[in-house]
Amino acid sequence: MTGKERVLMTLNHKMADRVPWVPFAGVHAASLIGKNATEALTDGDVLFDSLMEVKKLYAPDGMPVIFDLQIEAEILGCELLWADKGPPSVASHPLEDTTKLPCDCTQPAPDKGRLPMVTDVMKRMSAEVGEDTALYGLICGPFTLASHLRGNNLFMDMILNEEYVNSLMEFTTTTALKMIDMYIDAGMDVIAVVDPLVSQISPEHFESMCHESFKTIFDYIKAKGKASSFFVCGNATRQIEVMCKTDPDSISIDENVVMKDAKEITDKYNITIGGNIPLTTLMLHGTQQENMKFVVNMIDELSNDNLIIAPGCDMPFNVPAENTIGVAQAVRETDKVRTMVENYEAPKEDIYVELPDYDNLDKPLVEVFTLDSATCAACTYMMGAMNVAGDEYGKKIELVEYKFTEKENIARCVKMGVTNLPCVYINGKLQWSSIIPSKEELFKVIDGLL
Amino acid sequence: MDYLIAVGECLQRGNSGETRENVIKALEVGVSHQEILNHMLEVMEVVGRKFKKNELFVPEVLIIGRAFNVALEVISPLLAVEEKYLGTVVIGAVKGDLHDIGKNLVKMLMVGTGVRVIDLGVDVPAAKFVEAIKTYEPDIVAMSSLLTTTMIQVSKTIKEIQKAGLRDKVKIIIGGAPVTNNYAKNIGSDFYAIDAGTAAEIVREYIQKNS
Repeated sequence: MTGKERVLMTLNHKMADRVPWVPFAGVHAASLIGKNATEALTDGDVLFDSLMEVKKLYAPDGMPVIFDLQIEAEILGCELLWADKGPPSVASHPLEDTTKLPCDCTQPAPDKGRLPMVTDVMKRMSAEVGEDTALYGLICGPFTLASHLRGNNLFMDMILNEEYVNSLMEFTTTTALKMIDMYIDAGMDVIAVVDPLVSQISPEHFESMCHESFKTIFDYIKAKGKASSFFVCGNATRQIEVMCKTDPDSISIDENVVMKDAKEITDKYNITIGGNIPLTTLMLHGTQQENMKFVVNMIDELSNDNLIIAPGCDMPFNVPAENTIGVAQAVRETDKVRTMVENYEAPKEDIYVELPDYDNLDKPLVEVFTLDSATCAACTYMMGAMNVAGDEYGKKIELVEYKFTEKENIARCVKMGVTNLPCVYINGKLQWSSIIPSKEELFKVIDGLL
Repeated sequence: MDYLIAVGECLQRGNSGETRENVIKALEVGVSHQEILNHMLEVMEVVGRKFKKNELFVPEVLIIGRAFNVALEVISPLLAVEEKYLGTVVIGAVKGDLHDIGKNLVKMLMVGTGVRVIDLGVDVPAAKFVEAIKTYEPDIVAMSSLLTTTMIQVSKTIKEIQKAGLRDKVKIIIGGAPVTNNYAKNIGSDFYAIDAGTAAEIVREYIQKNS
């Protein structure tokens, strides 16, 4: 079963061979190829290359092409403040001082703003990986887009000028439908409507002022034969039920919502739920072991039907690649990783490991530590790169792989202080972690030791 | 008719006009301005608690805050300087961060606890915080960061406050989606608030204890 089949089957509420994995690598993708967020969000080649790196390292079943809720706002006249390590923020709201509606002529069209670049990358991704990977086209939800246009006054309007909010929501719903047309034409399999601000209004307000818009959007996606998802951020515990009533195929939540409780509600409506690996405390600041353990626990604790494992929201730029690799492995090989985590935490006094005498080696020693090069994509590439060196240098170097699936190897990792996999140590010193070196870089290091 | 009770009821509904009208009537029948203010502060405390428990949401809190400010305008000229404010807080979203909904809610709930709040706005450089401490001599500096990428600015601002020799003159409270208690401790913040209601509670408790 391909990743794409797995995602689409799950969004169609059927049990796949395992739970799908959808990393929300937005700006983080750029970090994998040494570029910044602005470069990836404005330059199609950088965006494409960074997405291909995500595909290679994280082996996703599904992935977003671009995670930027400001694309529509920019076209509609909001000024943006760009950042190196995050998506841009909206710096001005064209409707802040007026309750007029924008002209329909300002609505997004294929040639406006960054859309030519975005749809081109979507088409390239669709051609390159679309056969086996479900591609997500993310659009800004109508409520958040309304707030981009009107600013914080929108919240007051909900009480003081309901009619205006309804008209503005009609406008932003039209925007959403236009974006859906363009993204589906560019090859997207799933349309995710990302509306973080929904968590900030009462369920009653959602029903009276947002329900109609979201229902229209999800019905439209369904009518076009594609799958849909409703992404929300923040503590949306009280909104999950009203979100379900708008009929998306899935809902994606962040760490502020208790997944088990939310899933009880989404299960009642037969809606798939995705989430909710904590972004900062775990993905950004946690260890690889902690990330793997969290995901295994999540898979063990929840019923695996109607479930997608994903980060809570757009991953922070600086998430260590090895943490995401650990998560990917925990989803793909849950049983093996459960054992790894148990072995890692178990006392290791009874396992004796002798480390080489690194100061007196006969020849360069290349030690590759992997989660399991047979099943972990990043590990496969890392091992593959080292095997190229093995073929090139033959007996001039010694090449060893230690898989984390063996207790002895876990003990070795602990003794050597190896914490993130896959990685390569040369002569006892950490040389590469997670990011696979180019052939030239690898050969240069080895040549320097011969 | 008990106009004082009516003030509270109208305030809870966020009806600015009726809150103002009832404040004026309460004063006319001899209710003291201090009593009215105390009652309004009690209502705002309830609002903060309900917001924290997800019983009230952003639109309701903003509209109640507006009604509170309208009523305060009526009472304000009657209050002596020392009656006006429990203490002072300087608040802002750090450099690079343009998100102001959370910061505005914190400000509103702090005002509702009887604290004077100096709002520096969004995208506030460290130097501006330092300058505001010198100008307003606040009890507390409150900083928000909604992005993982601007969290570093919180730490930088604290360092700048230290460098300026002002760190022991103020307490610091920080918050925002990616910020955690651990992070707050690590960068030398005195307090961390998980949400706007908690921030207002911490500030009130601290200022009451130390005033």
